[in-house]
Amino acid sequence: MLRAPAEIKYAEELDWLESVDDGPKPFSWRLSPKMVRLFILGSERADGLDREIPQKWFGDRSLVERAVVTLASDRGLLLIGDPGTGKSWLAELLAAAICRSSTLVVQGTAGTTEDHIKYSWNVSMVIAKGQSRESMIPSPIMTAMETGAIGRFEELTRSTSDVQDALISILSEKYISVPELDSDSIVFAKPGFSIIATANSRDRGVNDLSSALKRRFNFVRIPVVTNRKSEAEIVRFRTEELLRRHRIELDVPPTLLDVLLQSFADLRASAAAAGSDDEKLESALSSAEQIGVLEDAILHSNFFGERQLTARALASSLVGSLARREPEDLAILNKYLHGVVEPRSKEQGGSWPEFLEGGRDAIATLS
Amino acid sequence: MSPVREDEAVFEALRTQLREAATALADGPDALEGILLGIVDDVDRAVREPLEIFPVCHHSPASAIAMARRLREKRPKVVYLELCEDMAPLLSELRNCRLPVAVQAFASEVKGFPADWAPLSVVAPITEASAEYQAIAYALDTPGVELVLVDRSSDHVFQWQAGGSAEDRSAEPEAPDAPSETPPAEEDAALHGDAVGVEIGDLRPRFAELEEHLLRHGRVRHWSEWWHQYVELPLGDSDHDTYRQVMLLIGSLFRRLAPGDAERVRVDEDRERHMWTRMREHLAASGTDPADCLYVCGAFHAASRVEEFGVGGAATFEIGPPSASVWQHGLIPSSHSAIEAQFGLTAGSVSIAATQWAKNLKRTRVQPFRLEGQVGAKKPAKTAKAAVPLTPVVPGVADVASDKLSGFLRRAPVLDPLDEAELLGWSVEIVRAARRNGYLASTADAIAVFETSILLAGMRDRARPTPYDFQDAAITCVEKDSVPGRRDVRRIVEIMMGGDRIGQVGYEALPPLARDVHDRLAPLNLKLQQRGVQRALLDMAASPELARCSDVLWMLRHLLPWGAARAIMGERRLGEQPIQESWDLALGTHQRELIELGYEGVTIEQVLEQRLRRRAYDAQATTADVLKAVEDATLYLRSRRLADELGTRALEVLATERSVDGAPEVLRRVRRLLAYYRTSEPVLPPWIESFVKTGYAHYCTLLPTAFGDEDATVRQVAAMLGFLFSMESLALSLGCDRTQLDLAFAQSHPKEPAKVALRWAAQVQLGQLSRAELRSLCDDLLGNPLVVPAYPRYLSGFLHALEPVPQLADFVVEAVSNAFARLPDPVLLPWLPTLISTLRADGSDLAPLLIREAGRIFPGRLAALDAWVPPWLEPPTVVEARPAAGARTGAALLAAYPETCDSVADLLGYEGSWETTAPAASGAVLTARHPDTAVALEALLAGP
Repeated sequence: MLRAPAEIKYAEELDWLESVDDGPKPFSWRLSPKMVRLFILGSERADGLDREIPQKWFGDRSLVERAVVTLASDRGLLLIGDPGTGKSWLAELLAAAICRSSTLVVQGTAGTTEDHIKYSWNVSMVIAKGQSRESMIPSPIMTAMETGAIGRFEELTRSTSDVQDALISILSEKYISVPELDSDSIVFAKPGFSIIATANSRDRGVNDLSSALKRRFNFVRIPVVTNRKSEAEIVRFRTEELLRRHRIELDVPPTLLDVLLQSFADLRASAAAAGSDDEKLESALSSAEQIGVLEDAILHSNFFGERQLTARALASSLVGSLARREPEDLAILNKYLHGVVEPRSKEQGGSWPEFLEGGRDAIATLS
Repeated sequence: MSPVREDEAVFEALRTQLREAATALADGPDALEGILLGIVDDVDRAVREPLEIFPVCHHSPASAIAMARRLREKRPKVVYLELCEDMAPLLSELRNCRLPVAVQAFASEVKGFPADWAPLSVVAPITEASAEYQAIAYALDTPGVELVLVDRSSDHVFQWQAGGSAEDRSAEPEAPDAPSETPPAEEDAALHGDAVGVEIGDLRPRFAELEEHLLRHGRVRHWSEWWHQYVELPLGDSDHDTYRQVMLLIGSLFRRLAPGDAERVRVDEDRERHMWTRMREHLAASGTDPADCLYVCGAFHAASRVEEFGVGGAATFEIGPPSASVWQHGLIPSSHSAIEAQFGLTAGSVSIAATQWAKNLKRTRVQPFRLEGQVGAKKPAKTAKAAVPLTPVVPGVADVASDKLSGFLRRAPVLDPLDEAELLGWSVEIVRAARRNGYLASTADAIAVFETSILLAGMRDRARPTPYDFQDAAITCVEKDSVPGRRDVRRIVEIMMGGDRIGQVGYEALPPLARDVHDRLAPLNLKLQQRGVQRALLDMAASPELARCSDVLWMLRHLLPWGAARAIMGERRLGEQPIQESWDLALGTHQRELIELGYEGVTIEQVLEQRLRRRAYDAQATTADVLKAVEDATLYLRSRRLADELGTRALEVLATERSVDGAPEVLRRVRRLLAYYRTSEPVLPPWIESFVKTGYAHYCTLLPTAFGDEDATVRQVAAMLGFLFSMESLALSLGCDRTQLDLAFAQSHPKEPAKVALRWAAQVQLGQLSRAELRSLCDDLLGNPLVVPAYPRYLSGFLHALEPVPQLADFVVEAVSNAFARLPDPVLLPWLPTLISTLRADGSDLAPLLIREAGRIFPGRLAALDAWVPPWLEPPTVVEARPAAGARTGAALLAAYPETCDSVADLLGYEGSWETTAPAASGAVLTARHPDTAVALEALLAGP
């Protein structure tokens, strides 16, 4: 499997947690809310567990608590935030911890229809046997309802309003009626069913949620991680996973990680200070973006380079992934290299001069 | 059994237990054991002290409740309080204020400290829900009880940190890395200005890692929440001994684990030495029994290990003398958010503490102390019921120290049962408040908030949701993707939980200056003590008594920061009488600034006079600055005496000035003052006469240098010339010599084109150059292709020349028109922006003159333009000199003495003879020729 879902990847850990969990569990949850939190945020000595549970999502504790509590209540959970802040990863972890199934996912796109949320028909079976429960193809959401699991809806705001509104009745009445069937025409949700949706705050205004739907969701806003320490943790964590997946033996020197974090921090600061959209990079400069840059550099060094990550490769990967609009983004990066990196490389030395050189070359190639 | 041995035995069981625990945890006696046993020793030592120590923590309702209880029970005769000793006289004024207010010590004149520290300011905020207020209220309102402040004086606050740098100053009281998430509203948070805060019972680990550790393991987000959950709630209604021992334990724990940097420890220990020395002095002087006293201090200081600790401690500490700085004291308004901002607490924590205090009072029925006549306090309801103290008075309870600590540490925390009704009330209230703030919130949300709060509290191991849990739940359920109004849900919850409370210093507690201001503004009939902006309309024509209010307002506008008093309509100028004015006043909002003015003097006139004098006598003051002070003195104070004094100072400054930088400003101000004195005084004040005289000589001397100096701008030289020309008549009448000016001109050889042009213009004024010559000079410039590029610079010289020589306006119009007509485009176009910017920057008062003149010269209508010939291009009309009728011209002499003429003619060899001519007919001849006109005119003049 190229990428195992969380419930498979952490199956052993989840089994163990379930065996030691003695807290009260809402509905049909596999773990108590406290254990869900522990699974996601990792254990500490004070928790008094026999084994260490690694941290899997990095962010504010209260955000996770609010998310878990929402799922235990009557409402759906909507994770909202900039792209690359770890919304989907959090949703996956939550679903895996609560019901051991994180794959009941509907991907919201402009082409998503109501069928994707409710059900559709297996046409050949309908022709052969007529409309019945057997010839019906339930959507992931409907499957979640039937099994009392967590259904996921990715990028809710990308789908059109009528599709979004199909969720309203699911969230409030907790059943889907199938008018085509004469008997057994209502699919009721079992206890434990809930929905985790994610929405991209950059897409605001594309398909705004109706207030009726808003009312049925609790919003948890996931901020861009700006804390240097936890960001380093995230990047390291995800990169290690990636290296394992690609079976690459390559060291990421801590100084280069520092260079990467610092350059993103600088670019974020300049984006915050920018007056208009033309003055800031199109990228949201999220942690995921950072991981992408590092991943790029690692792969490049591994397959084309000398099997060693260099500042030069990092710089060209940074320029390559952040320069999206031809004149604007390049100009900003150029300004950054000359205005910030150049003085710094003169002052501090280290990996910065090489980084500067690599960045310049990359810009020269692109422009 | 001696009492000491008995006391030693008190904590023996606990000691043994801790020793065992330490051994078990760390495999043998080591540092951990040292720390644990040391903590017990600290507690033991403080408990055994005959002078009862009462440890408190700031903004802790539990401390306040315990204090109120203890005071009722023990009724001490002397209360020692950890507060700067010089603030004592002010405390009785607290009753006139609405809390929270801050006691302030202020020194504007700094002696003995680096000058850049000035002004020094120390504030000690006091809220109603604090233990110190309980102690103060008890001591001040109970007859026979003495309140003694024992902490170092405000002066020592700065003396003792003199070792540190000035940057440490403001940061000092704040704990490192304060995790306040949302900065409170700017305006209220700045109530304390940039004062150094001192606070009783600053109890917080001074070690970021320790705090982080506590927060992490406590599963809370910030310090206030930790305290609330792990100390405040468990302590709840515990008895006095338990309270005392637990607080001592915490103080000692923080002290031993995380003492902070050495500098702070030194200051802290010195403070403890100071306090104990003062207490011993007081005990010795008054002969009070230590058992009748109560020493209120922060838990951090209660667990002290200094030599001087205790009634029987060493008396080796010497309190240094204060510096020579003069300290003033007063009360300034404070607010919860200001306290939070200053001491790095989480936004809303002080408000939540206040709410908690009110609730605890209701629940425990402890009767709090409150200063009699306290402003803003609710009237105590059901006095009869509260009069019965719940805790029976058992004399000498404190003497028998028993080990309450072991029990407390072993007992599982007693959790408050869920107060469902209260939570329900909050949930309903938050939904209503959110709706008012534009959120789409409904009853369903109230239910969700209620449910989520309980779930969250359960997840965080709490039986009942704290306000912080509730806040989180409300954010989860109500806050959607955007904030519709001004406030987000977090802020709404904060407001609901008590909100920010802003204190107010009552009229009686104000310094004389502030009271005086309010008295004098009373005719406005506005409630100026209240916060917010109020509009005042002053119609001086209808009610002349308001003119005095207007005076006060103008002075306030001058003295207070922008916004405190803002003139919307009306202005004050020399020699003008105001008729109507309207003002936006926010004196209540700027109460602190007004009070701080009170430290400088008794009336605002006095303060203003001091400020003006300080400005004028400043070593850096320029003539223009001093003249401005003179003008202000005349405008706001109407003080001829001060104006004269400052004017004399201006004269001194002018005489020593060597640059002409301020010339334009000086000219403007002197002109204004002269105009004012000429119209309002019978004779000019002597200083201004001398000023003109000195100025004339001064600028004459500087003129040649200024013309040649590259640094002196054209504008400055023009202003000098302006001074010389416009003051000339006055100066000459006072005994100056015109030759001085002529000499100065003879020595001036400007090279810069603009200054050359300026000199030409000045020469025209002096009569050394005629207009025709000037015109031909300009024509030459335009005619010479080598000089043409510099012509625009000549023009800007002419523009500036309008200042000293305004009568040249028509010539300047001509020169500018010529430039447009004749300059080649490559020269003209680049110059245009320069012209515009010159006119905008320097010529704002000259441009109107120029435009008026141009309007006069150019035709008003487009049609007239075709036929128009500029006046300077018209052929000069030769005015024939016509002899006046009957006047005898010089030729008459010739006829009377023909011999002279004849001999001259002989000499020249001219041969001619004398002829007689008939006298030329004068204008009157016409009347004879055309009599009709004269007749008609006569008829007209005679009338019908």
